[in-house]
Amino acid sequence: MKQLSLMIDLERCIGCKTCIVACRNYHELVDYEGAMPNQIPYYLRVESKREGTYPDLSLTTWVVPCLHCIKAPCVEACQANAITKDLETGIVRIDAEKCLGSKDCIEACPYDVIQFNEKENFAHKCDMCFDRIHAGEIPVCAEVCLTNAITFGERELLKQRAVDDGRNVVKAMSTQSILYIR
Amino acid sequence: MKKTGWIPTACYQCKAECAVLVRVEDGKIKEIRGNPRHGGKACVKAMAGISLEYAQDRLTYPLKRVGKRGEGKFERISWDEALEIITTKLKALKDRGEAHKLTANFFPHSITDPKWRFLNAYGGFINTALPHCDSAKIVAFIKTMGGVPNHHIPPAWLAVPKDGMMILVGRHAFGGMDDATIPRDVLDAKGRGAKLVVIDPLFTADAAKADWWIPIKPSGDTAFFLGMIHHIIANDLYDKEFVNDWVREGDFDKLRAYIADKTPEAMSKICDVPAATIKKLAEDCAKAPSVGVDSFKGIMLGRALDFGHAWTIFLAITGNIDNPGGQPLPDVTPLAPVEPVPQGPDLHELGWHRTGPDKETFAKYSFIMEPTWYESQAIKNGDLKVLIAAEANPALTEMGQEEWQKAVCMPGENGEYQLELLVTYEIMPSETSRYADIVLPDKSYFERWELLYMPWWYNFGQGIILRQPVVEAPGECRHSNEVFIEIGKRLTPEYFQFKDDVAYYDIQLAGLGLSVEKLQEMGGVWSPGTMGFRKYKKRGGFGTPSKKLHLYWEDLEEMNQALPRPGLASEYGVDEDKYPFILVSYRSIFHAGAGQWTHNNPQLRDRVSGLYENPILVNRTAAEKIGIDDGDVVTLSSRTGRVKVRAKVTERIRPDCIGILHGFGSTVGRVASMGEGVSDNILIPDAGSALEWQDVVGGEAHVSCRVQIEK
Repeated sequence: MKQLSLMIDLERCIGCKTCIVACRNYHELVDYEGAMPNQIPYYLRVESKREGTYPDLSLTTWVVPCLHCIKAPCVEACQANAITKDLETGIVRIDAEKCLGSKDCIEACPYDVIQFNEKENFAHKCDMCFDRIHAGEIPVCAEVCLTNAITFGERELLKQRAVDDGRNVVKAMSTQSILYIR
Repeated sequence: MKKTGWIPTACYQCKAECAVLVRVEDGKIKEIRGNPRHGGKACVKAMAGISLEYAQDRLTYPLKRVGKRGEGKFERISWDEALEIITTKLKALKDRGEAHKLTANFFPHSITDPKWRFLNAYGGFINTALPHCDSAKIVAFIKTMGGVPNHHIPPAWLAVPKDGMMILVGRHAFGGMDDATIPRDVLDAKGRGAKLVVIDPLFTADAAKADWWIPIKPSGDTAFFLGMIHHIIANDLYDKEFVNDWVREGDFDKLRAYIADKTPEAMSKICDVPAATIKKLAEDCAKAPSVGVDSFKGIMLGRALDFGHAWTIFLAITGNIDNPGGQPLPDVTPLAPVEPVPQGPDLHELGWHRTGPDKETFAKYSFIMEPTWYESQAIKNGDLKVLIAAEANPALTEMGQEEWQKAVCMPGENGEYQLELLVTYEIMPSETSRYADIVLPDKSYFERWELLYMPWWYNFGQGIILRQPVVEAPGECRHSNEVFIEIGKRLTPEYFQFKDDVAYYDIQLAGLGLSVEKLQEMGGVWSPGTMGFRKYKKRGGFGTPSKKLHLYWEDLEEMNQALPRPGLASEYGVDEDKYPFILVSYRSIFHAGAGQWTHNNPQLRDRVSGLYENPILVNRTAAEKIGIDDGDVVTLSSRTGRVKVRAKVTERIRPDCIGILHGFGSTVGRVASMGEGVSDNILIPDAGSALEWQDVVGGEAHVSCRVQIEK
């Protein structure tokens, strides 16, 4: 099996959102002249979990891209066959040309990562920078991460390296293709 | 000039001014990265710079006020007319012997910033807004170690060894305000086995990654450090060799005597941290191969110079000065002077117009960069007649902002205002421009030349970064440096015998055998490639008169500040019954101060990629006691101000504090004025009305006060 992945280190992610903006710039998601807050599409988001009571507290933050599901519900939901899981890379891709704008994929996605372009009537999302990786580059989020919390590579190798380094894969968060470690 | 490719330049979304690469395609900015030749990181603010560049709100031609100040009514004028108005007023001011009543409010991007050259040549003063930041730290460092001032000299986290200690005292290092590489370097050091300790009333993003969070009472830092110093000396844990070799003779004995009653137990009562915690951290630090301390809000929350002093003493007795992982010393890049060098107005003769007529109070004032400390007070006193603000927003950033707004609208003689002329340079209209007589369209940092020369850059010690235009400026925009040079040529031509800004930088770069063109070819950065350690040894000592470290400041004996005072900030001791909480302002990585660069930026105000509003943080236990639920709109009041704001009930703050993110509350700007953001400076009394609270010796103003919260 081939499966490219992003490995996100919960010990290093500080929730700075640098990856979100850099990703938007690269994928040209922002209308710089007209954009207003809270209406700009995004392929990544930051989630967090706060635990404990004062003064014994913990805060964990992590970034959520498309999880490139092993058995992707969006692929199954798409009547237009516009979504495929690429056999060579394991990346789930939406073909904007084929997309008929039914939004079925958005409905089906359990992780709420699919965006919709109302003006041009198509769904779009993180494709792990498909074009870049074929040219030997890494995805933008992994390149710009302020703390080097995001690592790109073959899922099995990333996992192996993490284990070799004495790190733990957070199983509950890593059920799909993206890995979370602490 | 339609460029294409990756072009090296410098970001200016905040005062860190990180070296970046900008990808330009056919004259349009597409992407931004950290420059790998200078650390290689750029933060979220840098990435969102493209939204600033192409904002609808960009100002593209000069404006002249047509209504009253503050009404915001303007008409378009030409550059010729704008410059005529400004130079006529400045000439008249100088002719009547009041050149020193000009203040320019800006951040000097280097020691030789052309704006500063103009001020020195003309005879006006600078206001950098630094007393609102870390001037006391700079003063403390200069007094103890000598050397050159620099506004941000964090420990070189990249140099921290295994088992080193990294201590952040009210310092939000993950906010990227010193360099975008810092979060990475702190976490890398932690990965090598160094310990991260955060001392802060708030559980910050840094605290979330810390080995130890110590929630301290605001301004209790001096007491905390004095308690540690006591414990280290009393138990013979200090670095004897370093103290013997490098502390001025007699100073250590004076310190030992002074510290005798500053036990961890006694200091614990002041700072509200258990004595056992003070002792444990002191022992950990004494054992560690290095200790680096950084502070920002810690010094801003009051009694700043005292804390700066305790901090430098702590570094000295643990031998953590200019060593890997300790406190670096800045250095000077050998740039060539631009002759003739203007000397500037005599601060002692003419500079006493800061906060009031009481010259005695300010006789020990020791921060060189702040002759005009509080603009509103100087206007009221008749000591500030022309104010030029560039990349500054005093209408929001001055403590007691409503006093500033009132002061600039004060009527003077002959139907004029008391402040005779107010000029602002703006990329986008700001709160301040609403009050201006002339508003000039500035170039963004993507459109201008600038030589950024600092005695300390985070990655390599001293060095230079070239800011160069990567795209063309819209409309009639001109950079404030170009305009100051133009005005200089008209009013003091003897100091402006060079063609333009680039020619000015060429003269300075000749000192390094470089030119702007050569620096461009090199990739836009120059540095020695290393910061170096223990540089004082080669140089026969420190920059102080004795060449040793001065722990005891005899010039402040009569102020009772020869050694650090352990008490809390004065403002916390008044009105305690009426205002039971202490307001603690803090920062995030998404915004820099109150500037339109980040606050009027849709990506940095977006909930997904930035921060939209600034609800106040209220501790859960405290909220339950006063019946406030998460999300309630409450009234927050101080002795001078009142705001309506939403409350966020949280565990991440001390129960006696209210947290507020600084910099919100703009009423100007398509994006900046959105949401429920409020400005903390409405609540904080202006310096003129609370002079007894200010640390006038260290030049530090307080950014905090007591508040009450009601449903």
